[in-house]
Amino acid sequence: MKRICCLLLLAMLATGCSWRYVGQPKEELLSFQTYPTYGKLYELAYAYGESLNAAIEADTLHPGMYADYGVVLALMGHQGEACRMLNAEAKAFPQSRKMVDRLKQRLMPEMLADTFAPVHRDTVNMVQLQSWGYDSVTAMRTLPYMPPVIDSSDTARIRMQTPVDSVVIPIRLTANQKREMLAQEQKKAELEKQAVADSIALAKLERDKARKQAKMERDKAKKESMKAKKKANKEKKKAATKKSKQRKAKKPAQKQQAQPQAAPADTTSTAKP
Amino acid sequence: MRRRLNTILLLAATLLFPACDGQKKMVHYSDIYQEQPLSIYIAPLNDMAMRRAVREMDDSLYNASITVAAKQMYLSAADPLVSHGYYVPGPLSSAQIAATESRSGKQLRNENINDYHDDLGFDAILFIDILEWRQTSCTWSVVAEYVLRSTKTNSEIMHVWVDATKHLPTDYKGNPRALKDDLDFAEKYGCDFATAQRCRLVEMVNKFVLKDLPAGQRARQQKSERFLKSNPEYYYLRIERDGSVVLLDNNETIETSESTKS
Repeated sequence: MKRICCLLLLAMLATGCSWRYVGQPKEELLSFQTYPTYGKLYELAYAYGESLNAAIEADTLHPGMYADYGVVLALMGHQGEACRMLNAEAKAFPQSRKMVDRLKQRLMPEMLADTFAPVHRDTVNMVQLQSWGYDSVTAMRTLPYMPPVIDSSDTARIRMQTPVDSVVIPIRLTANQKREMLAQEQKKAELEKQAVADSIALAKLERDKARKQAKMERDKAKKESMKAKKKANKEKKKAATKKSKQRKAKKPAQKQQAQPQAAPADTTSTAKP
Repeated sequence: MRRRLNTILLLAATLLFPACDGQKKMVHYSDIYQEQPLSIYIAPLNDMAMRRAVREMDDSLYNASITVAAKQMYLSAADPLVSHGYYVPGPLSSAQIAATESRSGKQLRNENINDYHDDLGFDAILFIDILEWRQTSCTWSVVAEYVLRSTKTNSEIMHVWVDATKHLPTDYKGNPRALKDDLDFAEKYGCDFATAQRCRLVEMVNKFVLKDLPAGQRARQQKSERFLKSNPEYYYLRIERDGSVVLLDNNETIETSESTKS
């Protein structure tokens, strides 16, 4: 009896370790049902891709997941991939064959004859993610409103207004990943702040340097002008002294010239005629 | 001596077994055991709860809150059935199928639905109605109706009414305290506290009602659980402060108090 109980316990433990149930992405579904926008649709598509890959890894599959992922892809415009997913649903759950045919008739009638389904253990292709040009959740909410899927009469024919290649959905992160992302963003913001402060300081340094340079040049020019003035004054003085000297030298010569002209007396008769 | 003992034991057993209250599943859900549905389609939820006339901000918040809770009830109805081995299409696929349906919910309830079996391969359709919402300072209540209709015979194979009340724990002043699970739900789904309470309540109701159904024909426990006790047709659910669910009889009185704004 004890052996049987131990074996049973071991068997339960062994099965418990390998089993992991991965269901539908409930948060994204409710979010999309409440606010049916393009952004939420993309979030849902990404979440379905993640969930399906996790389910394939865990070897458990929730009925209807492939079909729902196919519907989402069809609404986004990826008809080929959507057909593949719907066929995978029909292959995994044969009782859904008729439903899958009805969905294909509605969403992609041209692919009714295509019954190629991927092998269950192949990983599911995620929606191609390219940059959309926004980073915040608030920007996502400004997207055009999409009519709710349940109430509208022709929701299967909704086509994206923006080109498919240029869209992306934000990744569904765990709490740790969100914390890391927040820390990275804060670091980035700090670095940007630092860079701005550095650029301001650099500009100030350059301004001071330019001012100093200009001052030096002004002083240099002033000095040179003073020098030139001094030089000019000196030369002027020199010239003046030279002139005065010349004048002084000239004066005695003139005196000497003037004196011999006055010396000869008049010796002629003084007779009157 | 041995024979006498055996007979005494047998007599005691026959006296004890009928003393167990409630019907067994194989009696209460005899139609389901007979039909043996493999796939169930969940029809769009019929929200018959009254909306408030919008005169203040709280009124529009209330209306939005019960709308979101109704959506959550629709989304959370599939899991208990899937865990029992039924094939249930996802909400988006169901929405696409519903978009092709020209009949109203009432017509689907009453008219011929063989086309769902012939064209779509579903063995049964589950209809869920929300009839009423009530709340006080410490309780949240919902009244719902579940109908399962066979697409082969067009007959009702299950019909359940449930009145569920969720009690919140209170502090020494009598003010309600939020449960950690409810706060986590509100944070995870990005909704307010009242919406989180209603969503959690409808999830619990779905789980309680639909998990009581018999397992699908391919499930291992289908034969063994026939002798388990089932829920009655009309019952009250009380969700206690610690999260446990108590099923109350029709005869037991329920405290009624005036509903106040959330």
